[in-house]
Amino acid sequence: MSYKIPMGPYHPALEEPYKLDMICEGETVTDAKLHIGFNFRGIEHLAETRNHIQVIALMERVCGICSNIHTLTLCQAMEGLTGLTPPPRAKYIRVVMAELERLHSHVLWAGIAAKLMGFKTMFMTCFELREKVMDVLQAISGNRVNYSMNRIGGVNRDIDDTQAVLKMVEALEAEMLRTVIPIFTTSTTARSRCAGIGTLTHEKALSCGVVGPVARASGVGQDLRRAAPYAAYEEMEFNTPVEQDGDVRARLMVRALEIMESCSILRQALTKMPSGELHAGVDKFNFITGTATSRVEAPRGEVMYSVSWKEGSRNPARVHVRTPTFANMPAIRWMVIGQRLADTPLIQASIDPCYSCTDR
Amino acid sequence: MIELESIPEKLGIHEAWDVKGGVHWLSPGDLSVRELAKAMIEMHARFITITAYELPKDGGLRLEYHWDLDGQLLGFPFQLAAKSIESIYDLTEAVDWIEREIHEGFAVDFIGREYEPLLLREGDTMGVNLHETPATAKPASDLVAQEEAK
Repeated sequence: MSYKIPMGPYHPALEEPYKLDMICEGETVTDAKLHIGFNFRGIEHLAETRNHIQVIALMERVCGICSNIHTLTLCQAMEGLTGLTPPPRAKYIRVVMAELERLHSHVLWAGIAAKLMGFKTMFMTCFELREKVMDVLQAISGNRVNYSMNRIGGVNRDIDDTQAVLKMVEALEAEMLRTVIPIFTTSTTARSRCAGIGTLTHEKALSCGVVGPVARASGVGQDLRRAAPYAAYEEMEFNTPVEQDGDVRARLMVRALEIMESCSILRQALTKMPSGELHAGVDKFNFITGTATSRVEAPRGEVMYSVSWKEGSRNPARVHVRTPTFANMPAIRWMVIGQRLADTPLIQASIDPCYSCTDR
Repeated sequence: MIELESIPEKLGIHEAWDVKGGVHWLSPGDLSVRELAKAMIEMHARFITITAYELPKDGGLRLEYHWDLDGQLLGFPFQLAAKSIESIYDLTEAVDWIEREIHEGFAVDFIGREYEPLLLREGDTMGVNLHETPATAKPASDLVAQEEAK
């Protein structure tokens, strides 16, 4: 006999409000339907009522984890409409901020995944590590969530103490190699909860158009930092970790290896950072009529902003945001079909979903 | 790897790419959105999103279909006089949510598919992103009622 189990929008296993209706035969999920929209704030429509400064502050609040990525993508698009190019130092600072954000996002995710596996000690280890990254972000920007680093044509703040950031990178890297990666890859608990669970095949990953670590864990090796470099990524040497299995363990491995690559990028950016101006030195912007689009590799995958402006207008005519979870979320249906009901919270968490981003 | 320059000819379009605002634009001409989607899928392009624009002075709507081909961002604009266009959901499931979002936000009908509520809830009105709510706008509760009746 089949029965329907609704999970959410408020449920202990869900970090954010959404709903997953699952059809089950015994303990096995045979189909699932996702419902979002519980956080819908109409931000795209609101953006049309904000000027070029206010809209940056507004879009920074699309997401509470990758807030910096949203302003970076928006500012890059607006730079396309104003003809401004950030100075080299600003591009390096943008790379540092983007990688710090990736670190704290991935370590946060590792902690949540550990908690869902029933691995509370690892949860606390990951959150302790994340706190080191948050301290650095706070020291640079004065804030732990909305950093206000990006502006049209550059950045608002400098990174004065690069040694302090490097020290954190070394400590994080050492702890990842000493505990997090070995335990996640060799412990029986982690393997039994993750290996062969929630598989997204390579073919399904392509047809669903998934992005970021979810795509890379299913053998789709796309990474915008390499394929369409922005900021100073062209000057960085790094690998793009790709796994073939498409299961929860593969997604975990991709993120763990990406943490190591982020540490390597940070070390390069901080040691090679050129001196110079932080922004183009322009306070009055002349927007041309037209549309500009920008894409950035956020911790969860590709973010795309399309910004349309009419010359002489104070406000954008249109701001469209395509977030990574919006692309990744529908694939959950294919990940949970055939799986045990008890594994579905971890499977959902394995895409590192952000509903604030998705609903906007 | 497919050369970008060869794509217009393959699509039967006698225009070159117009690189503007970070996008390689190509006007689809007489090509339908479904023919374009089939061609993009054959070339192993990845669907990214559709961006809807409300044009000034009753100019209708413009839908821009964005695809990624080996890191190159491609854009194909489609002008909508009547608020409808063929759905490509049966060709690529990646468009499901964005077609539903544009249906709710701009009251566009994607012909050949069914909808379920995505972002709107009971009490909201279809076309929330339009500058003026159309007189013919249906309440989103119609969608919710349809969903519950299933």
